[in-house]
Amino acid sequence: MSLRIMYLDELKGFYKSRVMAFMWIGLPLLSVLLHFLRPDTKGQMSLALFSTYIVTSVSGTLASIMLVVGIIHEKSKGVYPLFLVRPVKRSSLLLGKFFAVGTCIAAAAVLTIAVGMAVDHFSGSGTSGKMLAEAGQSLLTAFSMMAVSSSAGILIGVLSPSVLVGVILILYGGNQLAALSLLPVFLKLPQPWWFSLAFGAGFAALFLYLAVAAFNKKQF
Amino acid sequence: MNKAYGLAFLEGVTKKYGAVLALDRASFEIREGEIFGFIGPNGAGKTTTIKILVGLISDFSGSLSVAGFRMPQERQELFRMIGYMPQDIAFQEWRTVDHALLTFGRLSGLDKGRLSRRIPEVLEQVGLTDSRGRKIIHLSGGMVQRLGIAQALLHQPRLLVLDEPLSGLDPGNRIQVKSLLRELSRAGMTIFFSSHILSDVQDVADRIGILSRGRVLKIGTLDELKSHFSTSDDVELVLSHDEGNWRGAGDLEGIRSVTGAETGRFFLHLEPGADVDSAIHAAVERLLEKGNRIRSIRPVAPSLDEVYLKFVGEGEGR
Repeated sequence: MSLRIMYLDELKGFYKSRVMAFMWIGLPLLSVLLHFLRPDTKGQMSLALFSTYIVTSVSGTLASIMLVVGIIHEKSKGVYPLFLVRPVKRSSLLLGKFFAVGTCIAAAAVLTIAVGMAVDHFSGSGTSGKMLAEAGQSLLTAFSMMAVSSSAGILIGVLSPSVLVGVILILYGGNQLAALSLLPVFLKLPQPWWFSLAFGAGFAALFLYLAVAAFNKKQF
Repeated sequence: MNKAYGLAFLEGVTKKYGAVLALDRASFEIREGEIFGFIGPNGAGKTTTIKILVGLISDFSGSLSVAGFRMPQERQELFRMIGYMPQDIAFQEWRTVDHALLTFGRLSGLDKGRLSRRIPEVLEQVGLTDSRGRKIIHLSGGMVQRLGIAQALLHQPRLLVLDEPLSGLDPGNRIQVKSLLRELSRAGMTIFFSSHILSDVQDVADRIGILSRGRVLKIGTLDELKSHFSTSDDVELVLSHDEGNWRGAGDLEGIRSVTGAETGRFFLHLEPGADVDSAIHAAVERLLEKGNRIRSIRPVAPSLDEVYLKFVGEGEGR
């Protein structure tokens, strides 16, 4: 019950935040821009896949920074005691944030890719079944990357004593960890997106478990 | 301790932060329906006591029970009957006043119907009705403080625990909050609050606890605390006809000195351990002999400030 309340609550705050405003507007624009720039991926990667990675990398980084900054700020200001003197599981506070951010980013990513495909369609490039399948597969990989970076953001937010340290750690560590989700793609495993998804889910669960364990031990 | 009238009981509660002893075998009760004021110098252990009481600190030794529930083992039940406002209250600033109360109310187990009645009620109580739709980031410090009290009252707790609820408030807001505390107490709510503003504690508290260096030094009503003083050390005399010769009373046995405050009003400072009755009697006789007329004689009662300084001074070995 408390998780549901916290999830909906954080969602309400997150979807209209400044960072999300950038994602709702900026990422679809970026997708349009990529369409016209047509970067040369030397046949290694389709444009759909490439643009999805760019978009999700940007959004995943922004989301994880926002989580780190938000949690450290709330810890230092003393926001949490008001929640913790109510019948609320501590894990709900963190998981509510994770799922709210995940929902917003996933929605922004789907919107971005949909805009890109619409641009393709109206510019006469067309949208083939293969492209759709690739976009779907890329989304799965992208979601796993975002789950890893967001969960790493939560863990660093709980552990880090200062915003500066937290942001540095997430910029250098979080993105590297998230990029591990791409390994199955580069290793050319059969149906790599499912491996990526499993990989991402596993790492995200591990980071969230560690974050909740550390948060449970904290005294406010 | 008479548990029949107690709501919360602390027995031998001790808390250490590493080598630092923050609370040393604190034992006292909070009685149902009373306003209990907790005073002490900075770092005395007030906030630690409060955090233990509301379940934010669980690794302490000794025992604590509230309304029959043991802390920290049964704290989930206790959370429904405790309202708490921390010392440096902070909210997520993106929330509006209404949204913050809605969230905290839901988390406290209130349904939407009850919340729709309670939110206007508590906002009215703390004087924030007009700010219901405002973002918290746009509220003044005093308004945030009052919002803190509102969130603590939302679920109508049996025990309201407030850490420095009056600090940072302007005089008008302080009067309003003190009046609210008295009103809540009359309605049957038990209130435990800490403060370093002694006059505020004196104004509202039924009983006062004095804490120093982690030890509870004294607990009682203001009169009980004052009774630990020899109230006859100083005596105030007011003359209706002042001949200006009252300084001569300082020569009498048992009287240390005489100081004047204004024309016709002065103080006799008695020697420690003097025979009070004899000294005052002799002083009165001397004054009458000299043609003075006495309007009143009154032992000077110590203020809470003096009581506090005495106990805290003793507690700190001064």
